[in-house]
Amino acid sequence: MSPIEVLLILAIAAFLAGFAGSFLGIGGGILLIPFMTLVLAIPIKAAIATSLIGVIATSSGAASVYVRDHLTNLRLAMFLEVGTTLGAIAGAFIGIFVEAIYLYFVFGAAMLYAAATMARRRETAKDRAYREGEEPPLVKRLNLSSVYFDQEDQAVYRYRVDRVGAGFGASAAAGVASGLLGVGGGFIKVPAMNVIMHVPMKAAVATSNFMIGVTAAASAFIYYSHDLVNPAYAAMVIIGVFTGTNLGTRLLVRSKASNVRIVFAILLSAIGIAMAARAFFPGVVP
Amino acid sequence: MTTARSGFSFVQNRIAALRRAVVAEVEDLNRLIFHVLRGGVVVSVALLLFGFVLGGLTGHPLPVHTTSLRDLSLELFKFNPDGYLSLGVLLLIFTPMVRVFLSLIAFAEERDWTYVLLTGIVFANLLVGVILVG
Repeated sequence: MSPIEVLLILAIAAFLAGFAGSFLGIGGGILLIPFMTLVLAIPIKAAIATSLIGVIATSSGAASVYVRDHLTNLRLAMFLEVGTTLGAIAGAFIGIFVEAIYLYFVFGAAMLYAAATMARRRETAKDRAYREGEEPPLVKRLNLSSVYFDQEDQAVYRYRVDRVGAGFGASAAAGVASGLLGVGGGFIKVPAMNVIMHVPMKAAVATSNFMIGVTAAASAFIYYSHDLVNPAYAAMVIIGVFTGTNLGTRLLVRSKASNVRIVFAILLSAIGIAMAARAFFPGVVP
Repeated sequence: MTTARSGFSFVQNRIAALRRAVVAEVEDLNRLIFHVLRGGVVVSVALLLFGFVLGGLTGHPLPVHTTSLRDLSLELFKFNPDGYLSLGVLLLIFTPMVRVFLSLIAFAEERDWTYVLLTGIVFANLLVGVILVG
């Protein structure tokens, strides 16, 4: 493939990744990196750096819409970002200095985990219902509990946030994954907020998306300073992801897409196995 | 009787006005963040497209390396497409940082010192990366 062809294919792939990402609530990075490494034969560290730039474009594009629609819990995002940015810096330094073969393996494992979280059950109205009882003192002090307007139900839901310590730890882990693997880490943060902290799903997705941009920026600077960002690749990914996300977010608000999620989970698992296999059989897997 | 009623409606009006003010303030912050995030991406995409057009017109080969902050202004001045592509990428990375800074100001205005501290830590974490790029 000529360099121009690689760029054009990358732009189309970024468009599709941005579209599917916003549509399915999974960042584009987890699709884009296997594509760049397995199909376009871009070295994995350069792919990670390029993907991080795409992740920021996705987050800024999608988050702006969510903030306007009042789905994002700004305080919760800010609190957890302390954990994600610290994790991201650590992850970026590990990612830059570790051998590429480990990155393939960890990336494959992360994809399998992401596939498992995609197959989770749907949230019911009972899950969204406000739970009575005293708020933990830290939650009260941080003023984390909030309300959001559910467009699907045409109702306002009040929710309280629980177990901030465990949620903070999970966010730090998501930050490490983001900095190390060049993904948004939504597949860790969204279940952590939803299951551990009891944040309703839509608010969790919006808050996670909002945090992803800041998290990715923390490690993107580090990759940039180590000259791992290829500006032409990054430009193609930004343009592709930007247009793809714009289209996807417009559809997200109304879509349920549960069958699509299962198909997608299977696809993610398959690609994850291919990525991990590359760590063990570098010559066999392309 | 009338004074009691007018006093009550006065209090009600005050409460309504206060609530409107609070809603408007939250609304302003949200709107500003919306414009910053959106605007950052749009300007970045515009710069990248300009870089590609410039590269196409001058027949400049596609860049493989990014420009450091130190050399950036010189490259831009020389109308080197590499500089414009790097600037587009950097601007995108800086966008969330501006957002964090705006949140810092908003929390300071609310005198919410806990969140000023938390936001300050996040901002400092981002600065670590900027210093490395410099």
